[in-house]
Amino acid sequence: MADKSLPQLLASYRERKHLLALLKEIQEVYGYLPGEFIPEIARSLGLPVAEVYGVGTFYSFLSARLQGRNVIRVCKSAPCWLKNCELIVETLKRELGIGPGETTRDGRFSLQLTNCIGACDQAPAMMINDTTYVDLTPEKIPEILGGYK
Amino acid sequence: MITVQLNGSEVQGRPGMTILELAQENGIDIPTLCYRSELNPIGACRICSVEVEGARTLVASCHTPIAPGMAIHTHSPKVLQARKSIVELLLASHPDACLVCDKANLCELRKLAADLGVGLPRFRIRKRYYPLEDVSPYIVRDLTKCILCQRCVRACREIKKQDVFAIAYRGFDSKVVVDQDQPLDKEVCRDCDVCISFCPVGALTKREEALVPKKGIPLIMKG
Ligand code: SF4
Ligand code: FES
Ligand code: FES
Repeated sequence: MADKSLPQLLASYRERKHLLALLKEIQEVYGYLPGEFIPEIARSLGLPVAEVYGVGTFYSFLSARLQGRNVIRVCKSAPCWLKNCELIVETLKRELGIGPGETTRDGRFSLQLTNCIGACDQAPAMMINDTTYVDLTPEKIPEILGGYK
Repeated sequence: MITVQLNGSEVQGRPGMTILELAQENGIDIPTLCYRSELNPIGACRICSVEVEGARTLVASCHTPIAPGMAIHTHSPKVLQARKSIVELLLASHPDACLVCDKANLCELRKLAADLGVGLPRFRIRKRYYPLEDVSPYIVRDLTKCILCQRCVRACREIKKQDVFAIAYRGFDSKVVVDQDQPLDKEVCRDCDVCISFCPVGALTKREEALVPKKGIPLIMKG
């Protein structure tokens, strides 16, 4: 799985201002941000543990737990909310049998809620991995999910 | 010197000074909550908002510097309405524990609510409850009462050069955390107390003052 070890990653990000880039790369390499990394990151960048934890928990694209093969992120910010994203979340819950923050037993999908993904003009929107799906309706969901193994 | 209009009168201020400082110098009282003169202003609570003619939104006076020709209104109807709404929002997620809260009439939130004539919030009541943190021998934290002003975070960092606290999570879930959201139990907190004196509400208390049974006078005598 991991093609770069934590010490290797830490060696390429040496300053406070690199914190977010480092967290992002850890997320890419490991699929999540392991809690036991946080004290080491803090030590390496000379930051308080609480601050690294604070940044790590602020962004919905950084996850505290290992994610499934495909990560669904449904936008929950105001414009999508007004366009009834709750209905999309309900549909996904029914289709997948899991709620936000959970992963299906077969590891195929994780369901997450996210903050605005910049597609407000085509709300409600969601992302699966790096692909954005817009103008969602409950009817569209099964077909979209069918495209992911 | 910089000349600005403050509530209709022409006044002078020094470059770099904030609207709040200018108002204070001119005897105008703007309420504040997250601001403390000893700490860097962060503009978190917006209770100090004022109207600046031509500005798109109300501005937080505690961190907005004055500029030549600014026309500032510190107590216009729009400003008062905004301040009231902010306090209402804070109260909508604040526990109704005032009767038994040790902060009592020293609570800045309660004082603001009284000053601004805020009654029951119009907003949906939505609270967040956290377990009381009483493991530290020095400080008891009751984050259910926390209003996220970050005064404790900054006091610890800026005055004591420690970094016990940081803000974690997001939006309504935001929380002042210690390490990876562990209950506060730090040896550096011995003989310090700085954060406690900065907390505007009853979220931080000295261990020896919290959790002690009150010795009231019994009002009813039996027998
Ligand atoms: S604990 Fe008190 S000082 Fe700290 S952020 Fe909360 S309300 Fe502000
Ligand atoms: S609010 Fe959903 S994409 Fe912006
Ligand atoms: S006192 Fe100015 S924003 Fe809080």
